[in-house]
Amino acid sequence: MRHFLFLFVLVFSTVASSAQLDSLRSMDEVVITATRQERRLGNVAVPVTLIQRQQIQQAGSLRLRDILQEQSGLFITSGFGVGVQMQGLNPEHTLILVDGQPLIGRTSGILDLNRIAVAGIKRIEIVKGPSSSLYGSEAMAGVINLITENPGTRSLEASLRYGVGNPDQGWALPFASTSFQQLDLNLQAGYQLGKWKLRQSNDLLFSDGISFRPFSTDRVPRPIRRLTHQTTLQRALGSKAEFRLLFRANQDRIQQEFSVRNNGQVIDSYGREQNHELNLQPTLTIRPTEHIRLHTRGYFTRYVGDQQLNFIQKPDSSYLDRFEQDLYRIEQQLDWTRGASDLIVGLGYQSDQARSTRYDALSSRKQNRVAYAFAQWEWRLNAQWISIAGMRYDDNQQFAAAFTPKWAIRFKPNDQWSFNASVGQGFKAPDFRQLYLNFTNNAAGGYSVYGTQDAIRIIRELNRIGQIAELKPEFDRLTELSPEFSTGMNLGAEYRPSQTVHIRINGFRNDIRSLIDVRQVATRIDGSQIFSYLNVKRAFTQGVETEFRWQLKTSWQLSGGYQWLRTGDKDEWARIKKGLEYTRSSDGTSRVMNKNEYVGLPNRSKHQAQFKLTYQPSETRFVFLRGFYRSRWTVANSNGNGVHDVQDESANGFVQINLSGGLPLRKNLQLQAGIENLLNHQDISYLPNFPGRNLYLTLNFKL
Amino acid sequence: MNTKFPLLLLSFLFVFAACEKDKPTPVVDQRAYSVSTSGNIITVRNLPGDTIVGTTAQGQPIGAGRYSFFSLETGQWIPNADSNSARWDLAFAGTILRVNNATSGPGGGGAFVYNGTFESLTSVPTDSTFRVDNHPISYAITRGSGKAWYTYDGPTNLLTPIPGRTLVIRTANGQRAKVEILNYYRGGTTPSASSADSIKTRDQRFFHFRYSKM
Repeated sequence: MRHFLFLFVLVFSTVASSAQLDSLRSMDEVVITATRQERRLGNVAVPVTLIQRQQIQQAGSLRLRDILQEQSGLFITSGFGVGVQMQGLNPEHTLILVDGQPLIGRTSGILDLNRIAVAGIKRIEIVKGPSSSLYGSEAMAGVINLITENPGTRSLEASLRYGVGNPDQGWALPFASTSFQQLDLNLQAGYQLGKWKLRQSNDLLFSDGISFRPFSTDRVPRPIRRLTHQTTLQRALGSKAEFRLLFRANQDRIQQEFSVRNNGQVIDSYGREQNHELNLQPTLTIRPTEHIRLHTRGYFTRYVGDQQLNFIQKPDSSYLDRFEQDLYRIEQQLDWTRGASDLIVGLGYQSDQARSTRYDALSSRKQNRVAYAFAQWEWRLNAQWISIAGMRYDDNQQFAAAFTPKWAIRFKPNDQWSFNASVGQGFKAPDFRQLYLNFTNNAAGGYSVYGTQDAIRIIRELNRIGQIAELKPEFDRLTELSPEFSTGMNLGAEYRPSQTVHIRINGFRNDIRSLIDVRQVATRIDGSQIFSYLNVKRAFTQGVETEFRWQLKTSWQLSGGYQWLRTGDKDEWARIKKGLEYTRSSDGTSRVMNKNEYVGLPNRSKHQAQFKLTYQPSETRFVFLRGFYRSRWTVANSNGNGVHDVQDESANGFVQINLSGGLPLRKNLQLQAGIENLLNHQDISYLPNFPGRNLYLTLNFKL
Repeated sequence: MNTKFPLLLLSFLFVFAACEKDKPTPVVDQRAYSVSTSGNIITVRNLPGDTIVGTTAQGQPIGAGRYSFFSLETGQWIPNADSNSARWDLAFAGTILRVNNATSGPGGGGAFVYNGTFESLTSVPTDSTFRVDNHPISYAITRGSGKAWYTYDGPTNLLTPIPGRTLVIRTANGQRAKVEILNYYRGGTTPSASSADSIKTRDQRFFHFRYSKM
């Protein structure tokens, strides 16, 4: 750390002297994710949330999770890292992009939001509703796109943050051994070298992590170190072309110590986890005429995750896990404006590769190739109507091809009102785990879970040598593993009665079919079960989301939102309607379950609300108060009926309040202070990754 | 020896309860074995079924391998000495339920699982077949989480009877009865997921069920 501080001071002094003040704050509300083209937010026909750099900074957010948890309609989930639930869909159904290209390295479908630093991010665009017509697989619930800062302005920003918390005592002493401490160093610089514009962002986070796992009660601080580097290079090539290169590298080192309980036995384990991630994104944009743009994009990304765990009760057995994934992609996009129409056509090819100890052998590399084409036609019929029709075709080497159309319209009768409607398809192709997982749990009865490709091969071989007692009919369906599909509808209205008030309402409905779930496919002669993946479930999510923003005075702003959500498994719901699902009366006897006792899919809260209040008399002087609420959610089926109902084990709803404020110390120096989780809400069982109250101080230096 | 004393005590209580059957509102110890009748439904509480006496070398809790035999015809807990007779209809040991036939006993018993509430089952469906035990490979009432009458969750270490599963029993003497397992823990309440494993171990394998003849 000493080395880093030295480097910090060194870079600080060299760049500070040469940098010139250029702090133009761009608040132009432009969104690119919704249509793959820069559009004014007011002209987009699908629900979009924009989070600008200023909000990220003032909220004191370090990781993507910190800022997403304060947004309307999003839930943070725990388990295999922290994920995000959008429109009631699981984290695996939200695509997370950096400058339009997907992040990889998901575990059980979850991309850990704590892995992603938000330093160097200009804005975050959240598009809700299926977006596979533009982005392909995983964009079922929506897309979260992190737009990196553009080089171009000479600038220097540095910040140093110290945070402290103690979940057991509520308030913590700085530098005390019992406290959970956090230190974040951040340095961002923009400069110009000849024709090259360059921007760099470095972030180093040391934190005492609370390495909880489900069913663990351990609270020992364990060090976590996260290092993120981001470089953006940009260069104009003549007057009609531009080259841009984004490089991002991330390294996490996490020490772990936790206990896991199963079958009444406790296993204490300790170990460490390391993640490495690289992103390289070259883009060439050519504008041969005023009406045509050609984007050539390359993308290379690599993720390596290593985990080593030792078990105290079983010192001779240790768990070693390695997962490597590489994604290569090349993409060509043509934007063509002609009269009232904007046309986009694109072609792409990608190769996705993985190898892992979770599969049959670490040496065996799994590969999947996808060729895709997409098109979108945006047509401004007149001043009031916009129609956007899009479609995409993904030809997958491993599974059936996916065709995903989408159509959206916007009607703006006057300056106050506008109405949106959209309907689209989303899909998620099966991932490597669902094809190649090779897992046998010898501790718990010797059951196995195999990805479909391995299941077919292994079970056939076992059957040949007489080791299979029973082949379920499901075995014959393993060859048919296909993508998960959804149809999503969004219907919204916006009302701006004045310059200072903005109200938005959006209703959504997602119908998901062929969801992949684990099912038993065979039984070995010793009675142990073999499971694999099948497209067997159907589900729906629907809800209403409202948001408002009110500029009270020039320095005061209030905003808030509320989401009502209802979800369900369609087969369960059909059985409940037929009176085929049961529950227990208070005397313990069984009875038919009522429709109103069904809560739908687990881990969903019916109500969610949030508010934000900002007081900002000047650029560096502010107070920012945020609160969010989510209602009770079901976590496990505890009454044995297999469906989630009001009697089941649930987590209590909660309110979290975050407060931050900033004031200028000197011309270029700002002090920011904040309290996260002011009410110190904690829930070890159901929110294991939720820290208790945390206080922090940040010094920001900005030229 | 420490297992015999509670058994002795329980049999006293049983006799006690049986004598007092006619009283309108008997004060029942919620944690003791009891049998009560309401109309034609008989409810049995806290019938131990091979309760936990120790742990295996791997740390798994185990019982002494001692079944509790119950007669649905007389509503009585049958002494283990009579296990090789047609006096009992249903035997309990942890997650194993046995009927008096084939590998389990000399009677003509059998069983199958009906999907539906206890009340909704008024007569034995004509297309049903009674199964018998093939100890220790298979049982008329299939053993295993989610298969017949219970689910078991490893992380919480809790066993829950599935609502809406009714056991249809053919007694040792060929009578028909329907049985609903209500709870698996002493006192009739499943411990909370967060309670200590020692409590979950100590209080498990106490059967609560109701039945009536058909």
